[in-house]
Amino acid sequence: MFIEYTWLVPLVPVLCFVAIGFLGKKMPEGGGPLAVFGALFACVLSVLISYEFFTSSAYADPGYVTAQITWFSIGSFDINIGYYIDSLSCLVMMFASFISTLIFVYSIGYMHGEGAKKRRYYAQVSLFLTGMLGLAISSNFLEMFVFWEAMGLCSYLLIGFWGFDHPKGDDATDVAASAAKKAFLVTRLGDVCLMGGMFVLLYEFGSLDYAAVFDASAMAAVDPSMIMLGSLLIFGGVIGKSAQFPLLDWLPDAMAGPTTVSALIHAATMVKAGVFLVARCFPLFTQNPEVMLFVGVIGGITAFFAATMALNNMNIKKVLAYSTLSQLGYMFLALGAGGYMMALGMQTHDHHLMAIGAIGYTAGCLHMVNHAFFKALLFLGSGSVIHSTGTEDMREMGGLHGKMKITSITMLIGSLSIAGFPFFSGFWSKELVLETVMHAGDYGAEGYLFTIMWILAIVTAFMTAFYMFRMWFMTFKGKPGHGTEHCHGESPKSMTVPLIILAPFAAALGAILLFGFDEYVTIGINHVGEFQLGSGHGHGLEGWLEDIFMSIYTYLTIALVLAAIGIAYFMYSKMSVDPGKLNKNGSSMIYRALSNRWWFPQLYDQIGWKLGNGVARGVEFVDTQVVDGTVNALSSAVAGSGDSIGKMQTGNMRDYAAVVMFGIVSLFAVMLVLFYFMGGA
Amino acid sequence: MMMFDGSIVTTIFGEFTPLAPMIVLILGALVMPAVFFASKRRSAVAATAIAVILVSVFFNILMMVDGYQGGYADLFAYDAFSGVMILLFQIVVFVTALVSVSSSETTRMHYGAFNSLLLSASVGMMFVATASDLITIFLGIELASITSYVLVAMKRSDPRAAEAAVKYVIIGGLSTALTLYGLSMLYGVAGTTNISDIAAALSTQDFSWAFGIAMITMIAGFGFKIAAVPFHMWAPDVYEGAATPVSMFLGTGSKKVGFVALFKVFLVIFAAASSTAAFATEEMQYIFAIIAAITMTVGNVVAISQNNIKRMLAYSSIAQAGYILIVMAVMSEYALASGMFHMFTHVFMKGGAFLIVGALITVGIGEKISDYQGLLKRAPFLAIAMTLFLFSLAGIPPLAGFTSKLFLFSSAIYDGGVMTQWIWLAFVAVLNSAISLYYYTRVVKAMLIEKGPSTERIKVPHTFTAAIVFCLVFVVLLGVFPQLIMDFCADAASVLFGG
Repeated sequence: MFIEYTWLVPLVPVLCFVAIGFLGKKMPEGGGPLAVFGALFACVLSVLISYEFFTSSAYADPGYVTAQITWFSIGSFDINIGYYIDSLSCLVMMFASFISTLIFVYSIGYMHGEGAKKRRYYAQVSLFLTGMLGLAISSNFLEMFVFWEAMGLCSYLLIGFWGFDHPKGDDATDVAASAAKKAFLVTRLGDVCLMGGMFVLLYEFGSLDYAAVFDASAMAAVDPSMIMLGSLLIFGGVIGKSAQFPLLDWLPDAMAGPTTVSALIHAATMVKAGVFLVARCFPLFTQNPEVMLFVGVIGGITAFFAATMALNNMNIKKVLAYSTLSQLGYMFLALGAGGYMMALGMQTHDHHLMAIGAIGYTAGCLHMVNHAFFKALLFLGSGSVIHSTGTEDMREMGGLHGKMKITSITMLIGSLSIAGFPFFSGFWSKELVLETVMHAGDYGAEGYLFTIMWILAIVTAFMTAFYMFRMWFMTFKGKPGHGTEHCHGESPKSMTVPLIILAPFAAALGAILLFGFDEYVTIGINHVGEFQLGSGHGHGLEGWLEDIFMSIYTYLTIALVLAAIGIAYFMYSKMSVDPGKLNKNGSSMIYRALSNRWWFPQLYDQIGWKLGNGVARGVEFVDTQVVDGTVNALSSAVAGSGDSIGKMQTGNMRDYAAVVMFGIVSLFAVMLVLFYFMGGA
Repeated sequence: MMMFDGSIVTTIFGEFTPLAPMIVLILGALVMPAVFFASKRRSAVAATAIAVILVSVFFNILMMVDGYQGGYADLFAYDAFSGVMILLFQIVVFVTALVSVSSSETTRMHYGAFNSLLLSASVGMMFVATASDLITIFLGIELASITSYVLVAMKRSDPRAAEAAVKYVIIGGLSTALTLYGLSMLYGVAGTTNISDIAAALSTQDFSWAFGIAMITMIAGFGFKIAAVPFHMWAPDVYEGAATPVSMFLGTGSKKVGFVALFKVFLVIFAAASSTAAFATEEMQYIFAIIAAITMTVGNVVAISQNNIKRMLAYSSIAQAGYILIVMAVMSEYALASGMFHMFTHVFMKGGAFLIVGALITVGIGEKISDYQGLLKRAPFLAIAMTLFLFSLAGIPPLAGFTSKLFLFSSAIYDGGVMTQWIWLAFVAVLNSAISLYYYTRVVKAMLIEKGPSTERIKVPHTFTAAIVFCLVFVVLLGVFPQLIMDFCADAASVLFGG
């Protein structure tokens, strides 16, 4: 009875967007409460839909509910619009709307002083949420793409929110503007790939509906190399959206927007869309082990590189941004490794291998949910700190624990969780990720790549614990800095209450999901040979505990995490070890490489701006000068009156006419060549 | 509602029914100067012009809905294809007439003549759409061209306009000569000027070089109209120099005349002649594919380095012509329907963008992209509308430009469930639309995010606002319900392919 009304989930937030956009000025707080209502409505409805779906017979077989109507036709193909509900969409819908609700509540306090701009803010975040919810329930690739782009557009507007008169002056305005543009263009580069992938699928399957594309017999009928091409192109879109290597540069710059926007982008929406898409396309991607290998390796490399960049950054938001990249890398690593084993298992009909591979899927999805909660908590916490100290530089903070108890303790919980401290949320999913990757190393000819990724992932786990606690100690312990003196105590209730609500989720949700609800986030092949989510066979409490604690490597990671926290404590809280000694006070090569993000931004500038603009100018030059020049020179050679002054006076008329004739001659030449090669007349 | 069916048109116009929409406009064009001399008020002239256009639209829609078909003296034939294209030209001229009344760039002294010329130009365009003979096609093109030269020159205050007009005349004259040369060669080959007779005559004979020359010179002649590379160089100068409503008229309307002529001559001939293996259809398709690829690439790449927004829109217009040329490469019924649909969406999105430029020039804002800084603060509606138009041009869902590009590019990928050999062209086109986003985003960034020197509110004339809203509604509506016009386009395409 609720599933039929699934379309209301994205519709209500979009109506809020319209209402706030037009009438926001007259509403209290620029329409903030209405935005909260929209998100809350979506959240409640999502829970009801999920409950109905999980208790329905469709959940057991075929594992999804879909309904759609024809939107329009492309030639002989119908493009539909509708919803597709399975455990993955339920999961994403619930966490995205729940976290967004809290972020919107928090915004009421955080954005209180923004005046008339609040209307724009609340309208845009509502639309942003619509994008994510619409994406989650879409029933086909094109519908998904529409919401995908809507989200891209909103992120562009929100990152550039401070565009006019940034509170920190004109330089910051420019930074915000170019960060927004960068985010938009880089993700758009990925979108071009995604669109290409959709064309491939539409051509091969004759439909873009999930139900038709993921059908086992349909996939078997299609040339595997075309599926590979389609999958890789789709993953290209994911790389852009989820800021994976080598398109990872935009996300740290996106910190130029308000902190709540960062929380929204990093925790609930936007970058999670990429993970969602890979999980959604799991049946398609697993047709080729090479695709999953690629996904895993990209994830592993991103996890490692992003973590290194966070090691020495002084900006509290940027540290969190890099950690998002790194954690997203973990998710792709898990999905890639699991999918790789599953693909190999499908080729050899090895059911045991497929079962191990399925754990990778569970690990990736669980990490996505856990990350949503602890990252939302951390970003909102950092927002609370920035709100009261007025700075983002951690060197100006320190010793805030006494002044901001609630923020401090909730952020500590978030840090413990993301660092993978035993028994916190992040610990469980991260252990599963690492374990899957380690297993994947044992199979197939290219499996050794996963062994390398596993080593990188272990090192990343160490670095994660280090930089998170470096951040926490630098902010809340150690010597009080310049900003601490400005601090006027704890933030208002609307900001601390969301923190208090998020903290228990960040601490315990991982364990609850894994031990109580793991059956809903599994994937497997059902009795008719189709992929099915949530087949109903969880490992159960004992199974997971045995998996995790019987492995010696679990204790290795725990030891590394504890060591990293210890080192951070001695360096930044007790100050008994001087970090300056390690990096020669910031002059060592590696320190500079990290500060410059391994010179990625410069590389992009060279490629994008210099090359792109250079080519444009070059083409224009050729277009207006060289072609004319050649023609001119030829004609003047023939006419014998190449008078340059005359040319100046007649403007470029003669050139234009000459180009037309030149074009006709070229067309004839092309025609002759074509006839010669194609054997025409 | 009995009286509102097609028969009312037949009752009034008798044997001239196929020309009904044009006749109304011709009458309007004749009375325009008189209205101006009698009233001395621009608004009276504009009101009359709009009334005339609306009557013409009314007749045309009646005929379209009624499925009217008929010819006049073997020279003109009204069918579903003509109906749709006439509708497109009517929309263009309606919007142009609506805004030129309050634009500061259009003439004040000769406003009657201006409207008269505008209506005549659109009549020329509609003649091409109904023509069934080479002579009438040529006649229509010339009527549209010669009046456009004058329209460009009518912005007396700006020396750029005079220069642009001279360039336009000379290059236009060259292309006229080429077109005529091609048409006469074609007559020489086929022995008739009636298009369907030509198609019938050619299907019985082999390819000849005379026919090849005819094709190439006609491509050059029509290529001038649609501003295909390398016949495009006049376009940026003329769009920049002309009054913005006129630039819009040329960019959205006049450009389409070239396409209509291309469709009429080439598609009809090739559809009839494709049965003859020796007819070299495929070679011609390759020539069009190459022109399409070069046109979209040059247009998009050069647009990146433009700082004047009218020049940027001109180059983006060139690129859009490249997309539409995909139709000529693929030559399938579905591609033609998609191409026609893209021509409609192009009218709304490119027209809308030009309208905003024109509205801002009228209130004293420059043509440089940097002049648009901080527009969101000064004119929120215009800034948001412009953003939507530009994003639609770039092909961002769910706006009209996305849907039409999706149709167009997918038509290059498969035809009747079989992959065509033009998939590389679709690939070039997709890459090109990614490039185009770069320069559109520059404008959006200036408007929405950068800080402007002034925050004073801007008020633009109401007619501009009305025209912009009109375009905006369709940019959104056609993105979500493409079937609204796509169905008409599909009917029109099947008529042209003899289905």
